[in-house]
Amino acid sequence: MGSILIVAEVQNGSIREASYELASFAQKLGREVHSLVIGSGVAGEAEAFAKKGGGTVHLVDAEAAANYNVDVYAAAIKAAVAATSPDAVLISNTPTGWDVAPRIAAAQDCGFVSDAFDVAEEGGSLVFKRRVFNGKLDAQITASGPVVATMQPGGTAPFEGTTDGSVSALEADLSGAKSAFVEVKVAEAKGVDLSKAEIIVSGGRGVGEPEKFPEVIQPLADALGGAMGASRPVVDAGWLPHEYQVGSSGQIVTPKLYIAAGISGAIQHLVGMKGSNFVIAINKDPDAPIFEVADVGVVADLFEVVPALTEAVSAAKG
Amino acid sequence: MKILVCLKQVPHQDARLDIDAAGTWIKEDNIKFEINSYDTYALEEALRIKDAGEAEVVVTSIGPDRVTQALRTALGMGADRAVHVKDAEIDGSDALGVAKVLAAVAKEESPDLVLMGLMSDDSNASAVGPMIAELMGVPNASSVMKVELADGKVTCERELEGGALEVVELQTPCVLAVQSGLNQVRYASLKGIMAAKKKPIDVKGAGDIGLSGQVGAGAAKTTIDKIYPPPKGEGAELIEGSTGEVVEKLVGKIKELGLL
Repeated sequence: MGSILIVAEVQNGSIREASYELASFAQKLGREVHSLVIGSGVAGEAEAFAKKGGGTVHLVDAEAAANYNVDVYAAAIKAAVAATSPDAVLISNTPTGWDVAPRIAAAQDCGFVSDAFDVAEEGGSLVFKRRVFNGKLDAQITASGPVVATMQPGGTAPFEGTTDGSVSALEADLSGAKSAFVEVKVAEAKGVDLSKAEIIVSGGRGVGEPEKFPEVIQPLADALGGAMGASRPVVDAGWLPHEYQVGSSGQIVTPKLYIAAGISGAIQHLVGMKGSNFVIAINKDPDAPIFEVADVGVVADLFEVVPALTEAVSAAKG
Repeated sequence: MKILVCLKQVPHQDARLDIDAAGTWIKEDNIKFEINSYDTYALEEALRIKDAGEAEVVVTSIGPDRVTQALRTALGMGADRAVHVKDAEIDGSDALGVAKVLAAVAKEESPDLVLMGLMSDDSNASAVGPMIAELMGVPNASSVMKVELADGKVTCERELEGGALEVVELQTPCVLAVQSGLNQVRYASLKGIMAAKKKPIDVKGAGDIGLSGQVGAGAAKTTIDKIYPPPKGEGAELIEGSTGEVVEKLVGKIKELGLL
């Protein structure tokens, strides 16, 4: 039985929680675990990871790796693969993971599975589960041989135990990059700060037209004394500015009440609002994934329910 | 400047998703198809580069006859010509098989830029772009929200979590997998659609691009065992009735939360 290589991800000087989730997956599979830690000045983080599920940690500590660069990371991961000959390489499905992980699969001419939320062993093969069709269906996928897989952050709990691990330096030729990191621009201060809103009424693709946001969604938000939000397709279509976007690439919100109107519930949206205390979903499609995370669901036309609700809320407030 | 845009034709976002008899994919007969939404942003970005200067925009897609419609749409929007890779031998390829086909097309075309969407609306894999880059030996950037060209280099902004952006500079040729929303996608004009009828679509098989026997179901290293509706959790408490009844119950819930 071959080993597993975890590619840990350093963010702002620390190994991120998603990497400890990879350790959970790897330890669960009961195989020999190796990890790659790549960064600059991260020896302490590598030691910590070795003791907490990371197994044998191979450390690439270099100035060239101070910031993420696809060519540098790919070179380091290839060196770690050559040193450990793993059956599976696990990488988190983050902006780093989806940029570099497929390169490793192509370089190794092996299988590739992305954004899996579960992995198990069946008859010597690794079997993954992941969502397809934007969350409307699940797929079970078997890798017939060595595989590179990216795992969905939050797919399992971070590893909490203590393990005997060691750290050793790994030689990797990081020269020859054909791309260069320039800078990270942090998100600008938002004109609309949804992170502090107690009540949010969000509209999705089902709202259908940009004019319907001020006509239908905003009035309910106003009546409740809350703020208006939106899902990604609304912002992509240019109906509302990015500052209204709730989701993994927009704002992460934790209101007391979240009303989702015409939002199907793609994963990236759910990540942004699953911390809401109470969720009301209104959608015509009874199979919309949003109903799985909602406390209360209404399968109906939002254009009937939302204006009537706005009126009733206004009346109740007197 | 030559830009190759890789397009995937996928089931329409509102199409009924019925699982097929084998249980491994959806029934694709009698549903509408469209260009993968992420890929439309890639095509738009290529056309904007063309509009701003000199560029030839070549679109390519893999699939059966129905794919012609996607390529015609792209030509109608302003692409110059199309390469349609059509071969039953390619059916059942995994992501790496698809990437090998597209990389082979790219090697023949020698573009300065290869553009595509970050992922597809059906398999949601985000795999093919970086794989093509690896197979071509060129750099790549994923989740691209901005593209600027100057002095033979490409400067991109990649979307990170929480709205942060990473600026990265790439040598050309390079492969960019673009995020949705980096531009506003145009519609094909009537004039464009008429002009597209005269634009060439080159049809190729696996053998034409040197991949006979190397792609398809037999070469796939991952297999879809089954697809199925996500297991239902407790789910939402469904509120039913007339609009009036529904609203009354919702108001009751909001009052229980102490918010009204």
